[in-house]
Amino acid sequence: MAKKKGCLGCSTPVAIILAVVLLAVVVVGLLAGPIGKAFGVSGLPEWMSLQTPAPSLPAEGVFSVGGFEITNTILATWITMLVLILLFVIYRKKLSLIPGRFQTMMEAILGYVYDICESVTGQRSVARKFFPFVCTIFLFVGFNSWLSLIPGYGSITIVNMEGHTVELIRGAGTDLNTTLALAAITFVIAEIVSFKEQGLKYLLKYFNFSGLIGAFKQLFKGKIGPFFMDLIVGIILFITGIIELISEISRLISLTFRLFGNMTAGEILLVSIMFMVPYLVPTVFYGLEVLVGFIQALVFASLAIVYISLGYGTEAE
Amino acid sequence: MTGEAAKLLGAGIACIGMIGPGIGLGLIGYGTVQGIARNPEAAGKMFVDMILMAGLTEAIGIYALIVAIILAMVI
Repeated sequence: MAKKKGCLGCSTPVAIILAVVLLAVVVVGLLAGPIGKAFGVSGLPEWMSLQTPAPSLPAEGVFSVGGFEITNTILATWITMLVLILLFVIYRKKLSLIPGRFQTMMEAILGYVYDICESVTGQRSVARKFFPFVCTIFLFVGFNSWLSLIPGYGSITIVNMEGHTVELIRGAGTDLNTTLALAAITFVIAEIVSFKEQGLKYLLKYFNFSGLIGAFKQLFKGKIGPFFMDLIVGIILFITGIIELISEISRLISLTFRLFGNMTAGEILLVSIMFMVPYLVPTVFYGLEVLVGFIQALVFASLAIVYISLGYGTEAE
Repeated sequence: MTGEAAKLLGAGIACIGMIGPGIGLGLIGYGTVQGIARNPEAAGKMFVDMILMAGLTEAIGIYALIVAIILAMVI
């Protein structure tokens, strides 16, 4: 291998000039932003000053079709769906025994999610049954957060019917409705699986009267001493069941807010970093957001399959 | 104290909620590094688990952030 001259693939003078230019860009960005203003730097040209960002939490309506308001997050959802459908139509068309680059990539993604399903459920049949659902969630959440990093999301604005200037497209994860819908679907499927596998016995997990009934049996037998002991145990069992019920419902809430919070926090982080240091530094945070999008997709999909497989679990005891 | 000031104070105080996940993330990193030091071959598998656990723990900090955002922007 030939010895490399200079550094980073450039000759030394070019590398030095590049470093100086990048540093100058960062410094100018720092001075142009609010940090420079706080130190009393003034006299910068007009086009360099930035407006204070005002991110809005609820999704805004862009246009309405027959009274139904189409918000900017719905548009982003449609774009994500379109991209995924196109991707898989092409994948299906070009399916061959000797995989090309594209097919290998798609198979690697699907295989990765399938391995998670199989390692969590431990049964092939269950994993195969719920893999399509889990993989859909993984792909939707992942692609949605990655697509929302593309320039144009959140930067193209439009004036809507009410006269407000709103963003045309905004990442769907930043709308609570989208994440609540995903979490609700997961929750309902997990409950249906539990009822199907365990029958009405599943309800006894939450409304546990067995201890109390045992205690009153003791009372009818005339044993007062054991009655009080069993009564206390029965009450504790009943309260434990209620706590189980609350924790079951809190799954729904935590799934919803985890995704929503991460996506919203990412968007606000990018906007505020761009406001503070407009040039070059936001790139680092874009990299972070790519990672966050992937991890959130992984976490959501893994939790979905964990919750579903819990419905099978208690039968074995 | 005006309502606006109370709102901003509340949003700031909500950030105290980040202490918990901070400790949690530190413990996760501690455990993983110790595990990798004892068994370097299993590093790849441990890393995936660590990322997953970190994602779950981080979400709790995100709840604090949501409270802060709601206080600062919505109410």
